[in-house]
Amino acid sequence: MTRRTGQLHLNAFLKPPGEYLAAWRHPDTAADAGVNIREVLSFARTAERATFDAVFLADLVGVPFASEDVLSRVSVVNDSFEPTTLLAALAAGTSRIGLIATASTSYNEPYHVARTFASLDHISGGRAGWNVVTSLNDGEAQNFGLDAHLDHATRYDRAEEFHDVVTGLWDSFEDDAFRHDQASGVYFDPAKLRALNHEGKHLKVAGPLNIARPPQGHPIVVQAGASEAGKNLASRIADVIFSGINDLGRAQEFYAEIKERAAAHGRDPDHLKVLPALSVVTAPTESEARDKLARLTELLPPQVALADLSYWLGGFDLSPYPLDGPLPELPVSNQSQTAQQQIYENARRDHLTIRDLVHRVANDDRTVTGTPQQIADHIEEWFHGRAADGFNVVFPYLPGTLDDFADLVIPELRRRGLFRTHYTGTTLRDHLGLPRPSRRA
Amino acid sequence: MTDPTARRLTLGALVQGSGGHIAGWRHPDARPDGQLDFAFHADLARTLERGRFDALFVADVVALWGHQLDSLSRTGRAEHFEPLTLLAALSLVTEHIGLAATATTTYNHPFHIARKFASLDHISGGRAGWNVVTSVVPLEAANFGYDRHLEHELRYHRADEFVQVVKALWDSFDDEAVVRDKATGRYYDPTGLHTPHHRGEHFAVRGPLNISRPPQGHPVVFQAGSSETGREFAARHGEVLFTTQHELGAAQAFYADIKARAAAHGRDPAHVLVWPGLSPLVAATETEARRRLTELQDLIHDDVARRLVQDNIGDLDLSDHPVDGPLPDIPETNRSKSRRDLLLKLAHDEKLTIRQLAHRFAAGSAVAGTPEQIADHIETWFRSYAADGFNISFPYLPGPAEDFVDQVVPLLQQRGLLRTEYEGTTLRENLGLPRPAVRDRHLQETGR
Ligand SMILES: Cc1cc2nc3c(=O)[nH]c(=O)nc-3n(C[C@H](O)[C@H](O)[C@H](O)COP(=O)(O)O)c2cc1C
Ligand SMILES: Cc1cc2nc3c(=O)[nH]c(=O)nc-3n(C[C@H](O)[C@H](O)[C@H](O)COP(=O)(O)O)c2cc1C
Repeated sequence: MTRRTGQLHLNAFLKPPGEYLAAWRHPDTAADAGVNIREVLSFARTAERATFDAVFLADLVGVPFASEDVLSRVSVVNDSFEPTTLLAALAAGTSRIGLIATASTSYNEPYHVARTFASLDHISGGRAGWNVVTSLNDGEAQNFGLDAHLDHATRYDRAEEFHDVVTGLWDSFEDDAFRHDQASGVYFDPAKLRALNHEGKHLKVAGPLNIARPPQGHPIVVQAGASEAGKNLASRIADVIFSGINDLGRAQEFYAEIKERAAAHGRDPDHLKVLPALSVVTAPTESEARDKLARLTELLPPQVALADLSYWLGGFDLSPYPLDGPLPELPVSNQSQTAQQQIYENARRDHLTIRDLVHRVANDDRTVTGTPQQIADHIEEWFHGRAADGFNVVFPYLPGTLDDFADLVIPELRRRGLFRTHYTGTTLRDHLGLPRPSRRA
Repeated sequence: MTDPTARRLTLGALVQGSGGHIAGWRHPDARPDGQLDFAFHADLARTLERGRFDALFVADVVALWGHQLDSLSRTGRAEHFEPLTLLAALSLVTEHIGLAATATTTYNHPFHIARKFASLDHISGGRAGWNVVTSVVPLEAANFGYDRHLEHELRYHRADEFVQVVKALWDSFDDEAVVRDKATGRYYDPTGLHTPHHRGEHFAVRGPLNISRPPQGHPVVFQAGSSETGREFAARHGEVLFTTQHELGAAQAFYADIKARAAAHGRDPAHVLVWPGLSPLVAATETEARRRLTELQDLIHDDVARRLVQDNIGDLDLSDHPVDGPLPDIPETNRSKSRRDLLLKLAHDEKLTIRQLAHRFAAGSAVAGTPEQIADHIETWFRSYAADGFNISFPYLPGPAEDFVDQVVPLLQQRGLLRTEYEGTTLRENLGLPRPAVRDRHLQETGR
């Protein structure tokens, strides 16, 4: 393994009160953290103190379908801030950390999205990022007049056009178009403005945008597609790619493939940062860390674990199948094909029954537990093994697992020279070491 | 404020970084680049809070505000923050002041709007307000795939259904439904969830909203309809109504009309607040205040002056006409029996030049005077039922806002018109508006 120079990029994936479905029941969480600004602000400030590149807020534009009994036992999907309003508030309450939020290309208008993220970029002094998603479930579609979610191919086709419209709108004005010259009375130079006049397959948008070019030129673009269409889009448009892969070998393949695809699109592969998700519970000793996780996972009702498994398999009802039997052959998911495939692969490889799979969900098997040294070793192995340019750090419950990461893992990473000790730039682009895009000709 | 049921003055401020006057940004004491400066907006919000304003309000247009670049490029209208992001950020640097913004029902979707305002209400601890507009600027259509702006009646028809859907989404959860009981593991009580399942003429929205009921129940609904259809809409849904009124008699008539319409819809007229616009310029003497207004008017560029006249009268090209000359003749056929006729008659009768007419439009609801004179104006309009409060637009910023807060507000307080401390913690409480119950809403919808 050839060691890499350079440092990690770390993103704090905040899903208050935590990623684990029963996090809200944990004695140390605020059950209402999804709608409690003081809580979320303190998480963001902790992440900023730990010099994370950014915080990230995921989003669904609707409640996924599940039984009343299951839904009434979970928090995040039912009761969370809308991410762009939350990010704007966090912008006012922090000064350096990047601020990334999801916005769907399937159930939005590009003019609104372009404006919102441009505005966030101005409010935050160049710290905004947009996670481009095509949305996941029928519960979202039905809030926007459709009976079912758009099919996967159409979604990605629209997403690409949507992205191009948004970046085109960001480029409405040249960087120095606004003169604000009181003496001559020239507010902006009209020669430095252009309308987009886009007419495409899915969208028709005249523009121009009603705001100056964002401080970063374009806010950072994040993508997390992992299907063929997803990878193709991400490698063309993204500055950062999130992935959910938690197997080193697969992550290395994904990493190599993404960098290759970026190069094939004529891009510098270094300008596309691959950040796999990494869920961490850490403590000074291994057993303490495991106990911490166990105290969390005992809080999950079994029916919620089963529902979560069927959600990630594509929303298919698993109740007709025997729990001690194998996973049935289900139709291809129209939500996340990658998540579905990964569950199948694991099930085949390890000969798992439905019950085993439910246990894995319930036990949160994706979470890495260990001492700060062990976590840092894991991170180092992935980083130097070219499986990651950094991580999208997932916190099973908040603030506990974030505080532990900030207090224990970050100092260890710094000691090893893997992570910054302070911010050297002011924008998210600076933190990520990415060039500022010039205005499209 | 001793008697909580007594009628009390309420105040809002229209916030625009470049100031309310079209040439405000050019004033030597103004911040020419204030539009996109968050710190500047934060300071202003805190000044208004010091002046015990009920709310600050951010107007919005989802397009570049005009296509005539010669004039547009000389105004601060070409750039502004997206309002919801601005308000959410301001909520963190203020504690009491209400935070209201425009969102159009014509080029938005109700799920997003319900969600963003609910989110803002939670973030701000119950200080959100939504100004429901159907969009006045036809240019918006082209940013959303339409060739033409939706027609006026249709816009309001859509708005009506839009508001119903938004309120049903806000009421997805009963107030007490979200129990978050760690011990039993119930986050919410399923009997307190009301999924709207809305299927109407314009929207199909299943719901529920993915956030608990806003602290105010519903964020406060602002509105500014002025046509017959618009007033009906305002009287049905609006809780704070903006109106452009330059003259006491007309303002009283509007006030009476709106209150009567609200009563006809079965609403308590006291729960519909009428806020005419007001642009105060305060100085030690009236002469000084007027001099300042003139100073501002002189900063209006000729192209901007022509544009102002065109915008207000419509349908005519003045580019080849000297700005210090009279209005050209306007062919009969182009005329409609409207405000336009009145303006043309005014210009003709008073022999106004294009520039003079433009100055009238630019001055709008300007009142230049001493602190006493401004306070008198406010008191007179309030006491004679022309206004429950005012939507105050400062000609430029920040000076006139500071002057108002430091010099006029204390007078209003001395006269017992304005609070010295905020009455409550939410915008609704400060405005004296009741918090809507979930039940009311559902009874209303089923017509029972
Ligand atoms: C870390 C991470 C965060 C994600 N956040 C969101 C999100 O906020 N909203 C959403 O609809 N999808 C989200 N996704 C799903 C992806 O956008 C994508 O749909 C998924 O990875 C499957 O890829 P595919 O669409 O190419 O099949 C996320 C995925 C990952 C790995
Ligand atoms: C103080 C005030 C603020 C307004 N703000 C907006 C706005 O932000 N966006 C908008 O499209 N219209 C705005 N309007 C226009 C009104 O919503 C309304 O369309 C206009 O008064 C004409 O009335 P009508 O719609 O009944 O014809 C505003 C009007 C007033 C008086």
